[in-house]
Amino acid sequence: MELETIRSYDWGIMAPELIILGAATILSLADLLMPKKASRRYLAIFAFLGVACALVALFMQLDNGVISILADTYRFDSFSKAFKLLFLIGTGLILLLAFDDRKGERDEYRGEFYYLLLTALLGAMMMASSADMITLFVGLELLSLSSYIMAGLRKRDRQSNEAAFKYVVNGGISTAITLFGMSYIFGLTGETNLYAIQNALGDPTILQNQFLLVFAFLITFVGLSFKIATVPFQMWAPDVYHGAPIPVTAFLSVVSKAAGFVIMIRFLLVTFIAAPGVAEKPLLQEVQPYLAILAGASMIIGNLIALRQRNIKRMFAYSSIAQAGYILVPFAVISGLMFEAVWFYLLAYLFMNIGVFAIIQLVTAKSGSTDISSFAGLYRRSPWIAVCMTIFVLSLAGFPATAGFIGKFGIFMSALSTGAHYWLAGIMIATTVVSYFYYFNVIGQMFFRSEEEAGKVSIPGGVLTVTAVCVISTLVLGILPHTALEFFYNQFDLSQFFTPTK
Amino acid sequence: MSSLPLPVFLVLALILFCIGLFGALTKRNAVIVLISIELMLNAVNINLVAFSKYGPNPGITGQIFSLFTITVAAAEAAVGLAILFALYRNRRTVNVNEMDQLKR
Repeated sequence: MELETIRSYDWGIMAPELIILGAATILSLADLLMPKKASRRYLAIFAFLGVACALVALFMQLDNGVISILADTYRFDSFSKAFKLLFLIGTGLILLLAFDDRKGERDEYRGEFYYLLLTALLGAMMMASSADMITLFVGLELLSLSSYIMAGLRKRDRQSNEAAFKYVVNGGISTAITLFGMSYIFGLTGETNLYAIQNALGDPTILQNQFLLVFAFLITFVGLSFKIATVPFQMWAPDVYHGAPIPVTAFLSVVSKAAGFVIMIRFLLVTFIAAPGVAEKPLLQEVQPYLAILAGASMIIGNLIALRQRNIKRMFAYSSIAQAGYILVPFAVISGLMFEAVWFYLLAYLFMNIGVFAIIQLVTAKSGSTDISSFAGLYRRSPWIAVCMTIFVLSLAGFPATAGFIGKFGIFMSALSTGAHYWLAGIMIATTVVSYFYYFNVIGQMFFRSEEEAGKVSIPGGVLTVTAVCVISTLVLGILPHTALEFFYNQFDLSQFFTPTK
Repeated sequence: MSSLPLPVFLVLALILFCIGLFGALTKRNAVIVLISIELMLNAVNINLVAFSKYGPNPGITGQIFSLFTITVAAAEAAVGLAILFALYRNRRTVNVNEMDQLKR
């Protein structure tokens, strides 16, 4: 490639990624040059500024159409815009959380945390705008490798070590499985560009190898289900969420999960949209029952096991498995409402789950234990915190007038819209009812138990901001959902997503 | 050598992948588990290179993809070993069965 071609690219469209990359580089250098004893806490502010600048850069490009550079490997379209927005907001909130998460000086975050968080974000953003299998894979691994280290950040903490090791082993296996599937997809088509693969899979000669194609689809899907923590790759979630520091847990359960959905939608839908199945139906329709079973199993397993958890972090880990199961429903039924349902639910989930973890961080730091009893009598100690937690938990449970309700309603409608998926919608309703038991257990602890320990829980500024933003967004999205949906309709164009750039 | 047909390579890769998966899921020694994951990743490389040379639609991108896979696999092994070191310093064990602090 000559210098001229490189220069002719419209590098401006990569501005959000380049800002994040620059911020991560500067942070790593600053961390290196700072005196050993100096507090690394203020690096968080710089990282937050980087994320804010990237957000501004992204907003300035909202009007751009589809642009692709770097030999069509990097693609800027409405899909990538919509999801990069989620990643940036989520990471910004998590940085504010981390700013206040201190258990004494010794446990204070080391500088690594901030730039690893940014590189993880960079990986997620690259995944959102890749149009090539290789860049998708590199983005996925950038996200994964950064999160492995973040999970083990407290290196003298045995639980953190163990969580990180379990995460690495599970992640390594899932990466290998994903890649194995990708290698067959490459083998059948001879291409790595997603749109070229789409084209090649629409070719009738592929019919000789349809079985291999279905195998490749399913094995890739299974590998990718690790990132979103659904069946069959859900077992790492409780252990890792439990052992990792709370801001990292929030990152894994929100941003990393959203990135998992992004790669699933981007990769599997774009490449397989025209692929023929084993019988007459197209492949995506043929695999629907299997995907629906996986979504159903995630909802059932997540919600049932959450019932008997005493540890609050583990409970919300299982809850996040169940939530991922809900989000998988529109993907499994592949309806026209899929994109808005997934996007809106991920947005709602982002606010409510980060809010929950912000309050868990406050309360568990105060009591020093992650048992659910540390929430006992919270209402009498700190009424406002208890009220905020109630809003988040009601939203996760899907109560009306919260964002979770609108999101769940959208998913429910998409499950019904294509027909023949009534049983999946039924499982969704039934498991939602089951989830009330453990969500209300948290509320019951806060309002009806007498406190085990006295003392108000004080809110530091960062967590206060996060909680306020999350409460307001949860309520606004619940009462006026069209504010977000209108933005989405204005920005999103379905036909853009499936057609290559001219 | 060029007379070997594609399925031979694919079956080799599949066997290697299955050995790796079996090892990763059953072995007690954490180092062996990490090695097994490397086996699985290398099975992918065999697949990619074989497809890019003898596949129905041969193309050079497969070999490029395998270069990326090798690099990332090395990074993953490095991170995995570093985490195992940290764990070993605290626990004095590499036995996977003894990593049970998080069951409660």
